[in-house]
Amino acid sequence: MINVSMVKKKIGWELFLIALLLLEVVVFGFANPRFLRPQVLFGSINDFISICVISLFVTMVIITGGMDIQAGSIVGLSSIIVGVMWKQAGMNIWVACVFAVLGGMLCGLLSGFFIAYAKVQPMVVTLGGSFLYSGLAISITRIAKVELYKGISGFPESFIQFSNIRFFGIFPSQILIFIIMILIAFIILHCTKFGRYIYLCGINQNAAEYSGINTRFIIMLTYALSGIGAAIAGIILTSYLGTAKADFGKELTMPIVTAVVLGGTAITGGKGSIVGTALSSLVIGLMRFGLSMAGMKTQYLDIPVGIILIIAVGLRGLNELGLLSRFSLKSLRKNS
Amino acid sequence: MQSIDFKKIIKQRGVSSLFFVIILFLLVGLINPDFLQVSNLLLTLNASVVFALLSIGISFVLFTGEIDVSIGAVLGFSAAVSATLIRDGKPWAFAFLVAVFIGVVCGLINGCGLMFFNIPSIIITLGTNSIVRGLVYVYTGGRWVENLPMEYKALSQVTFCGITLFYWIALIIMLAGTFFLHTPAGRNFFAIGDNIDGATLIGIPVKKTKISAFVLSSVFASVAGLMYVSRIGFVTPVAGNGYEMKAIAACVLGGISLSGGVGNLVGAVLGSIIMASVGRILVFMKFSSDYDGTITGLLLIIIVVVDALLQQHTIEKTRRLRLLAKTAQGSAQNSKNSESDKKDGE
Repeated sequence: MINVSMVKKKIGWELFLIALLLLEVVVFGFANPRFLRPQVLFGSINDFISICVISLFVTMVIITGGMDIQAGSIVGLSSIIVGVMWKQAGMNIWVACVFAVLGGMLCGLLSGFFIAYAKVQPMVVTLGGSFLYSGLAISITRIAKVELYKGISGFPESFIQFSNIRFFGIFPSQILIFIIMILIAFIILHCTKFGRYIYLCGINQNAAEYSGINTRFIIMLTYALSGIGAAIAGIILTSYLGTAKADFGKELTMPIVTAVVLGGTAITGGKGSIVGTALSSLVIGLMRFGLSMAGMKTQYLDIPVGIILIIAVGLRGLNELGLLSRFSLKSLRKNS
Repeated sequence: MQSIDFKKIIKQRGVSSLFFVIILFLLVGLINPDFLQVSNLLLTLNASVVFALLSIGISFVLFTGEIDVSIGAVLGFSAAVSATLIRDGKPWAFAFLVAVFIGVVCGLINGCGLMFFNIPSIIITLGTNSIVRGLVYVYTGGRWVENLPMEYKALSQVTFCGITLFYWIALIIMLAGTFFLHTPAGRNFFAIGDNIDGATLIGIPVKKTKISAFVLSSVFASVAGLMYVSRIGFVTPVAGNGYEMKAIAACVLGGISLSGGVGNLVGAVLGSIIMASVGRILVFMKFSSDYDGTITGLLLIIIVVVDALLQQHTIEKTRRLRLLAKTAQGSAQNSKNSESDKKDGE
């Protein structure tokens, strides 16, 4: 019974997100019919693919009860690694991409190591990490004697094409990338033992530890995964814009956390799903895109996103309180 | 004997960060003696006033075990509004009151969202951060606020004994806050951060205390905004962007634990001096200040990891002592250990 109701509740939230998504399409379609053109609608993902990809993996970190505010700075770092490896070190562009992913993974592993094995609060380590990795990105730019504001450009055509191609002239390849990332993240979190362990770490780390799970290692790996996700986002961004710059992803921290939380992940850990995060990142991205198409200035876009975040989480908090009180009443009746 | 002294120093978190500041400055002084000139040290100190106020404010929130990432936007908003008022010739006191009002409202929104709607503090403050930052753009129309009267800008240059008026104010606030934290009402902040269930059970007003912590944090942020206007002389729409993270980092450097219940305001101010002086130190060591972020991040991670390892060590040690005390075999050592414990306690 409990299982069924839990599933219902979970699907309920995701249905709500889908409804929100459809509502957005309808409302913005009315406000500006150009929004409904398939090329524009599907092309909009180019604007927020980084948020989508990174938040999928940050979901796992937050499910373990952790927090990751360094992912944004890894985006810039991986972008500059691609640029420097390709231009200064003269590597093949795809080899450079592998190095960038490795770099992102190492950054994640380092922070994850301190969080899992030295038991420092995740917020503090990733705060330090966000300073450190964005600082490293700037340092690499300087050491490679690249101008900070120009960045590195002039990448080979195949690399640029990889994120600018459109299938059937409508679907940008980034949609395909996003779907592949969703599948990977979904399989990791929902179809493997490792995924179940991630949930268990978030629900009760001690219990997980006592049942023979290497919780520290699992927690460290989730940070490595989020680092990899950030690096991939950095590569996509570099390819799409044709430039490698150190300050990519600087403003991404808040949208990522917003997307994860709006997707139904509990900030205290133990609850959340990949589908929810994927949907909510689309909701946020489409809202920003639609509002700016409807004539709102880019700088104002944070206001509606912030309001929606607070209302959604507030409603859910009230709902949980209500459920809790009903549950306790029932148990009281049973006892008497 | 020496080892005991060392332990005591580590236990006093403010003191350890003071030693860190002194060692850091001495090391830089070894490389470039110019850094240790009094005028330069005072300049470094005075430049950290905005961060000092932000760190003092956010400390109250951190003591209760919550977090506030909206102070950067609150600083920006209060700076923009008060700068516009001062530019338009309104009395400064009015601008000050408006700034404080903004702080109180933002703090109340954060605190009430947390306590009455059960929204985790990181989320509600994240939300207010983006909303208030958006309001800055709406209010200023995306333009800079410039052409402030010279008299107001000159206010930041007023000095007593080499320390600016603003820094004296920050110091007085720090002393008053430290005094307040030693009163019963002030101890409540630590009690809630240390053990919220216990605090509720012994009748500490948790809601009131947490809401007032958020109000204090936002009010100090908006007062810091006033000082920011006077120091910088103009306000951009992105003023104060990212300051919340730097203030949190300053508090952590000063020995305040993000899980709550530990730390003091002196540490927060010392941390803000470290945070604000990293860029300056780099220049004196003939590095580019572009390495600012790298050094700050390294410092933060190293200090926090060392601190966590030391704490674990002491926890393990006390646990072992307790276990020894319980076992019959350990009874011989037990008496010795408890004696040395008492010495430690004294």
